Amino acid sequence: MGLQKARGALLRLVSVSIICMGFAQAAPAGMIGTAYILDDESRAASVSRIEVLLAREDVARQLAAFGVDQALVVERLNGLSHAELLELEGQLDSQVAGGDIIGLIGAVFVVLLILELVGVTDIFKSF
Amino acid sequence: MFDATRVYRWSRLLPALFVLLTGCASIPPSVSELPDTSPAIELDDTPFYPQERYQCGPAALTTVLAKSGAEVSLDDIVGKVYLPGRQGSLQVELLAATRTEGRLPYVIDGSLAAIWRELETGRPVLVLQNLGVEVIPRWHYAVVVGIDAERGEVALRSGTDRRRVTRIRTFLHTWRRGGYWGMVVLAPDQLPASPDRSRYFEAIAALEQAGRADEAAIAWQTALREWPGDTVALFGLANARFVMQDYDAAETAYRDLLELDPGLSAARNNLALALVEQGDYDAAMKEIGFALSGDPAPALEQELRDTEASIRRRMAGAGD
Repeated sequence: MGLQKARGALLRLVSVSIICMGFAQAAPAGMIGTAYILDDESRAASVSRIEVLLAREDVARQLAAFGVDQALVVERLNGLSHAELLELEGQLDSQVAGGDIIGLIGAVFVVLLILELVGVTDIFKSF
Repeated sequence: MFDATRVYRWSRLLPALFVLLTGCASIPPSVSELPDTSPAIELDDTPFYPQERYQCGPAALTTVLAKSGAEVSLDDIVGKVYLPGRQGSLQVELLAATRTEGRLPYVIDGSLAAIWRELETGRPVLVLQNLGVEVIPRWHYAVVVGIDAERGEVALRSGTDRRRVTRIRTFLHTWRRGGYWGMVVLAPDQLPASPDRSRYFEAIAALEQAGRADEAAIAWQTALREWPGDTVALFGLANARFVMQDYDAAETAYRDLLELDPGLSAARNNLALALVEQGDYDAAMKEIGFALSGDPAPALEQELRDTEASIRRRMAGAGD
């Protein structure tokens, strides 16, 4: 769903920056741009933010109640692209600006949301 | 017993739940509240470019660019951001066009207080409004030039109105439907009024990717005043020097950075390339060897191998 949109936006952004490079100084071949380590940094921040959420006792209990292995969720989380992680965070943020997301919308909903977005709920289709 | 089918069916309902939860939202205090002492501000000297048919995007962007001191004409900007087929402009195009003028577009926090703080530093804020309703949107870009909390009013350069005054509540509802999206135009040596480090750094990195190395160098120096010793900012500054072909300065900057963070292989890769440009192939090979010995991530290792190969080619060429 939203992941496609995020990918589209990213592609658009990339094509815009490629066009702009035409009339400006091009980076030397082989140089690793600043965006590379910035991406790394923000990706790590996204993962750890969601991992903190998953580690909460009420969320962990809910995952266990659904019979989902937490390690599987973390593994899927690490497999997401940066754009997909941002999408996941965006969806969580859109529920509540700041504040305690679990207190406001409940652990069940947060767990369902995370499972759907990391693609774990796809495995239920095979039941 | 865990019923997987039911969970799956539930999860299919999630998009509908999103709409339900966000669609009827009112304006939260975190968006509408202003600091206790916020006297009325209005930036009277903000220029005005009345929009022609549908061209609110270019008109609003020209307004904020001109206020930032850039020499721009509405015609230039129309050519850069207006999409005749769509009768409008996209937010990313406004950001990209700002970079081609050597300015830094910064997307502010979505709150009235954030707008107020930018106005206080003398910067008007370009905002996206939806003057229609969600199902029949009427997108509009305008520029907030003033807020008067006591009178409950905001002043905008909007469309063909040089000074449109709107109730704060009304403005906030049109802005909410525009996703609380707002941006300011920064000269490279200016910080946002309340900078979010990663968003600000991404804005500078995008300036670098747009090939504006001179401006990016100034912006990274500005960032370093706020976050002294920040490794990302130091890396950015070194990269900008490299792109500007100031290899000696780039080398110094990469070395300073590697002293702080010896494991930063991306910086070592670039240091090697800066050394090659100065003809110091042996030192360059040594740096790459060192980086490869540190067990870099696979993608990075490939970059390092490519750099190693290109140094070998340059060495062979220089030997002839």
